[in-house]
Amino acid sequence: MQTITLKLKDAVVSGVAKVPVEVDALTPDQLFGKNEAGIKAVKVWWGNRQEQTGDLFEVSLAGDAASADDVKLVFEGDLRRVKRIGEGMKTGEIEARGDVDMHCGAMMEGGKLVVKGSADCWAGREMRGGELVIEGDAEDNLCAMYRGEMTGMTGGKVTVFGNVGELTGQYMAGGEILIKGNAKMLAGLNMKGGKIIIEGDAKWPGADMTGGEILVKGATEMMPSFKFLETTPVDGAEYKKYLGDFAMGERKAKGTLYVR
Amino acid sequence: MAAESELIIKNGVVFDPINGVKGEQKDICIRGGKIVDSVSNPKVIDAEGRVVMPGGVDIHAHIAGGKVNSGRLMRPEDGRKGLVPKTKVCRAQSGYSVPNTFATGYRYAMMGYTFVMEAAMPPLAARHTHEEMIDIPILDNAAMPLIDNNWMTLEYIKSGDIDLLAAYIAWMIKATKGYGVKVVNPGGTEAWAWAKNCSLHDPVPTFDVTPAEIVKGLAEAMEKYEMPHSVHVHPNMLGHPGNFEVTTATYDLVKGIRPYRDRPTMHATHTQFHSYGGSTWGDFESKAKAIAEYVNATKHMSIDIGSIILGDTTTMTADGPMEYDLYQITGRKWTNCDVELETGSGITPFLYSGKSPVNTIQWAIGQELALLIKDPWKVALTTDHPNAGPFIGYPIIISMLMSKKRRDELAAEVHKAIYDRSELPSIDREYDLNEIAIITRGMTARTLGLSEHGKGHLGVGADADIAIYDMTPEERDAGKIQKAFLNTKYTIKAGEIVVKDGEVVAAPEGRTIYVTPECDEKLNEEMLVTLKDRFDKYYSVTFNNYPVQSHYLPHPFEIKAPWRS
Repeated sequence: MQTITLKLKDAVVSGVAKVPVEVDALTPDQLFGKNEAGIKAVKVWWGNRQEQTGDLFEVSLAGDAASADDVKLVFEGDLRRVKRIGEGMKTGEIEARGDVDMHCGAMMEGGKLVVKGSADCWAGREMRGGELVIEGDAEDNLCAMYRGEMTGMTGGKVTVFGNVGELTGQYMAGGEILIKGNAKMLAGLNMKGGKIIIEGDAKWPGADMTGGEILVKGATEMMPSFKFLETTPVDGAEYKKYLGDFAMGERKAKGTLYVR
Repeated sequence: MAAESELIIKNGVVFDPINGVKGEQKDICIRGGKIVDSVSNPKVIDAEGRVVMPGGVDIHAHIAGGKVNSGRLMRPEDGRKGLVPKTKVCRAQSGYSVPNTFATGYRYAMMGYTFVMEAAMPPLAARHTHEEMIDIPILDNAAMPLIDNNWMTLEYIKSGDIDLLAAYIAWMIKATKGYGVKVVNPGGTEAWAWAKNCSLHDPVPTFDVTPAEIVKGLAEAMEKYEMPHSVHVHPNMLGHPGNFEVTTATYDLVKGIRPYRDRPTMHATHTQFHSYGGSTWGDFESKAKAIAEYVNATKHMSIDIGSIILGDTTTMTADGPMEYDLYQITGRKWTNCDVELETGSGITPFLYSGKSPVNTIQWAIGQELALLIKDPWKVALTTDHPNAGPFIGYPIIISMLMSKKRRDELAAEVHKAIYDRSELPSIDREYDLNEIAIITRGMTARTLGLSEHGKGHLGVGADADIAIYDMTPEERDAGKIQKAFLNTKYTIKAGEIVVKDGEVVAAPEGRTIYVTPECDEKLNEEMLVTLKDRFDKYYSVTFNNYPVQSHYLPHPFEIKAPWRS
């Protein structure tokens, strides 16, 4: 096991503008096999300038890795303006110690990404595989598609311990999202596959859904365009099972919504 | 470049069909941005036996203006593709089917094109179109205003005042700094304002004229002038099964009209979309053969193919009802726009899939047209960018036209409907490089009337717009042909090297070419009385504020079109 620690230098985000850093070039698969000097030389965007990782982060290495699966990246420091953590990662592990900026885990394909704080918008956007854990809250567009696209998350597993914002899992087609807190409006909008479990409350889940499954354990404010099917037990509790969204037409209303 | 700087291209194999040069090894001399007889102290480019052609001339593409920009706005997902950061020479690029203005200029130049015709300019949005054309680097350009669904036009067609209609056309082309007369679903777009559509002999709501009368009237009126290009027509019923009869009936309308100079009396655009048989999508079939036979048997027509590029694209046209029909099929996003008393438009994304029998047949039709029409001087290569596919797909079509083997390979990958509902698999013809040069520059420059103004050929006095492709004339490998036509070894624009080894090395501003039809003053005065009244009553813009000012054309080139005596 190799641990690569990347501590953001205070000066990077101490200015008035707080220019963001984009770290999609720093994933276990891309850093595997590099020594300290090699990692420090990797180019990352800081605003509209490309800088070397070593100029923005304090880099330290411990241990050895036989493959990229064995590489663990730890991001430290004030990460609130660090974007694209783990974007497109294929394997290995990333731990972000603190709140992170947008697009963390976007288009991730494999491996594990743990955020020890809250994540800004677009976390897990268009995720394909792997596991994303957010120990705090997640903002809007969690696991959604990028603007205009017609497919969001297609695989992998996401767990959010806190609350999530609007439009979670928009156009989701596969994979699983577990939200331990509440979901703001329109979780699973246009959903066509996969599964979302919301342990807290939800407003208008599954609007325009044509497939997939949403289960809400807390209070639900429902769309009127779902059809009640039956009462059914799930994990020992009684749920009302609905079919929808009939706003998409009868033929396309193939989504399932379970509410208390 | 300095006005008098000199360049010589040595050892190239030149294809210059307008001058009858079919693959001859010859040197090309350039001074002051023009082709000359000889040079004294030139910079030398050694083409080393590569293929040399005049700069490409695109006869029909949608590259600038309101609906192109709406397409960009409604498709952020398209903007994700084709991202290229800025360089010392180039500005940042984005987009695939609706690229930004910079990418449009660079990518065309990289394919060896130096002129593109913006095919549909809503007159009221002419300023926007010109603003975007200013922002498109390298390319010379022009734009054709939409005049066919205009209330003034419809009124003059109804009253039969062809001379006054000619006066109105002249005013409109001058006011918009346009190039010619564009017709898009004549009458149908006006009918769409009433949620209807028109076929060729249906009356247009409230005006009681038919699309046939509109096409014929406009063609007669514009032929009153020495216009460089014929009427440019997108016929009725685009994209509808069984529309081929409407298409040939539209072609028939202008048969008796005597054109100014030796050119067709009608250019019919994106003909692939108008060559459909069957009565539903279920029995949909290719009628490219019927269209090709018509074009082969007559002399008054030119067409461009509007060939499909399989994959995702953004469709956009002034044919509002067609876009609505398409939106009903796909259920994807859709934009609709009404342009006061002039025209309208619609935009919706579309995926052409080789798994779909209909899309497969559409894909075959574009190539069938190019292969079944015998005389390449009647055919232009287009994809109706971006409607049938983005312009960067041209090299794919070139490689297919040049290689039966490539066509057979691709036919095996698409829906089997290609074998029983299209002719394509049975056609053996292969284009040679001379024919490719004709359909991509010679024919298009000549049909647009640009060849006498220095476009599309390499004769002495022509613009020094030149493409050097990284292939020998003997190359038969379709993949290598495609690659060569996508990225030139050199593209030279007005004597300046703009692309070298597939990279843009200079991005000068292009010129905008416009036509000034010269109308009889008395006729003009008579027309203006009516026109000013219509502006007062209906337009949101005043008469005096309407015309595009000259500063919208920082590098103008005027072609005068005198009244024919």
